[in-house]
Amino acid sequence: MDLPEPLHDFLLVFLGSCLVLGSLGVVFFTNTILSAFSLGLVLVCISLFYILSNSHFVAAAQLLIYVGAINVLILFAVMFMNGSEYHQDFHLFTVGGGITLMVCTSIFVSLITTIPDTSWYGLIWTTRPNQIIEQDLISTSQQIGVHLSTDFFLPFELISIILLAALIGAIVVARQ
Amino acid sequence: MFLLYDYDIFWAFLIISSLIPILAFIISGILAPISKGPEKLSSYESGIEPMGDAWLQFRIRYYMFALVFVVFDVETVFLYPWAIGFDILGISVFIEALIFVLILIIGSVYAWRKGALEWS
Repeated sequence: MDLPEPLHDFLLVFLGSCLVLGSLGVVFFTNTILSAFSLGLVLVCISLFYILSNSHFVAAAQLLIYVGAINVLILFAVMFMNGSEYHQDFHLFTVGGGITLMVCTSIFVSLITTIPDTSWYGLIWTTRPNQIIEQDLISTSQQIGVHLSTDFFLPFELISIILLAALIGAIVVARQ
Repeated sequence: MFLLYDYDIFWAFLIISSLIPILAFIISGILAPISKGPEKLSSYESGIEPMGDAWLQFRIRYYMFALVFVVFDVETVFLYPWAIGFDILGISVFIEALIFVLILIIGSVYAWRKGALEWS
């Protein structure tokens, strides 16, 4: 994204804090519908991250699929529940909660130590020389379409079979 | 004109589509007569006295429709890059996309026959 550098950093920090607050809201709200709406906020923030990273097609696909379909599905599932009977036996600190806390803290520490140490620019520059010639003639979404239909033609057809299997499986399970 | 200039049309659309409801509410708030009464606060049921509870039970067929929608939404997202590059790609890619859509039409016929698309 060709934004001025401090604006880019400010947007990153703002979106990151919005994301963290939304995910805290998903976990901590006692009203389940508010929790589902916070999940929608988290998915919208992820989509805006993709826009900042100059992948506009993935951002639009994220909005369409995650927010538009999957979050709506979660909301419909939440609406089946009567929320009042789930919060009566609420222990603050259980054994399972302690183990999960240790696992998540170790994952967090390992991510924080490895992400600043990898050279991300080395990864990006390897993909750039392939596209310099066609850079201005074909937009990024068209490049995705070209690669999807020529290099990745067989996975493209297999995706349709996976979607068919998912549809049949979901209908079989949901009809009972 | 705006900051992210690729999204110019999008910012203009966002500004106009946020301004129109705000203007509508402000104008109707200024021009409408205000009168309070106990009947204005009760719920509307086509002119008769409201009977029963306003809460309906959530039916399973809403969930079935959302489920079928998820699968076909993912299919649509895969059709978007093909549609954007349609004038560059040739007829062979058209046949490939046709095979893709045909396999998913089989899935939609299955959903239709199994009654997942029944509304009543």
